[in-house]
Amino acid sequence: MGLSLDALERVVAGNKIYARKATEQDPQFFKTLATGQSPEILWIGCADSRVPETTVCNCQPGDIFVHRNIANCLHADDLSASSVVEYATTHLKVKRIVVCGHTKCGGANAALGDADLGPTLNTWLLPLRELRRKHKGELESLADDDAKAVRLAELNVQQSLDVLRKHPTVSKAINERGLTLHGMIFDIAAGELRVLDQAKKGNGLWTAPQ
Amino acid sequence: MASQDVAKYLKESHDRIFENNREWAAEQKAKDPEFFTKLSAGQEPDYLWIGCSDSRIPAEQITGLGAGEVFIHRNIANLVCNTDLNVMSVVNYAVRHLKVKHIIVCGHYGCGGVKAALTPQDMGLLNPWLRNIRDVYRLHENELDAIADESKRYDRLVELNVVEQCRNIIKTAAVQQSYATNGFPIVHGWVFGFQDGLLKDLKVDHEKMLRDIQKIYNLTQG
Repeated sequence: MGLSLDALERVVAGNKIYARKATEQDPQFFKTLATGQSPEILWIGCADSRVPETTVCNCQPGDIFVHRNIANCLHADDLSASSVVEYATTHLKVKRIVVCGHTKCGGANAALGDADLGPTLNTWLLPLRELRRKHKGELESLADDDAKAVRLAELNVQQSLDVLRKHPTVSKAINERGLTLHGMIFDIAAGELRVLDQAKKGNGLWTAPQ
Repeated sequence: MASQDVAKYLKESHDRIFENNREWAAEQKAKDPEFFTKLSAGQEPDYLWIGCSDSRIPAEQITGLGAGEVFIHRNIANLVCNTDLNVMSVVNYAVRHLKVKHIIVCGHYGCGGVKAALTPQDMGLLNPWLRNIRDVYRLHENELDAIADESKRYDRLVELNVVEQCRNIIKTAAVQQSYATNGFPIVHGWVFGFQDGLLKDLKVDHEKMLRDIQKIYNLTQG
């Protein structure tokens, strides 16, 4: 069985500590939260446990509206992500949308290989494998698997930004109220976020920090 | 605001994210110089969290869990729709590859998605997504309509929605087969309350729910 109930008790205890601390620091904290949300940022990131957006951005509850899925993919026909984008753009009127990939991404790694991942994941990762095919030459020229995976993650972020730009409500908000889109890579080994546009300046490759 | 002021303001909020991130990274390194090296080696989370996109409920912060401990999917109103490839990929990967021990569906009172679904109104692109919550309402119409107080009815729909999504997770082949072989994952339904910041356990009985659905949805037989 190998199932430990402690894992669950830990979360329940953790939540009690969180609630107590937050109330100690600001007795009105939860009352204020309950009145509503007005986040400035929509974050589309990977489900990977190592990239919790609010924590790595040192932000507070209420700051970032979030969608996370396997390998931060945005497909134009995905109703889940489209609904998140629609709600964030039209109703919450976020000012910026971040698509954040990361190093050591299991989804990117899997897409670089040819293993049968089962019907569900094969289908979900098909666009990533398509990207790999399109950029075969460039990916093969890279030194190691980690570099290939990061480059694929980066290409995937760019593709997701393209999908976003074509979303009707997003393109309207870009033109009418200056909504901006941003691609990022979270470098797990450094704990740091990198803006994709800056990385593009050199040879188009994302590079590890010096 | 003039357009250059808007641009300046946006630049500042953008820069703030990076400043904050550097502060956080420095803090972690100060606490444990090997923190990111270990993190970089891989993830072995015990939990899959399926929560709402709502900015006020960052799963890791409200549970006191650190980076690397909880695999997270968040969408509008924490739905697990049977034909949604997005959530099904997350469940599949978490159960079959990461072998998570617990799956937590966490809703919250005051959920905008549930509220929108309770309001009969054309929401455009959001209609098909919200229809799933309206379906939960229809499934429990008698119970909900018997609640006179509107805000209590709304709270109850939040809870029933979580329970229904737990059921949807248990319907998956990944969960049924892993549970039959390994005895995990176990599915839990929780609701976060803004009044006190605490999680309420809806006491979803995983074993019973599984038994009840398997007459129709049993996927454990190869």
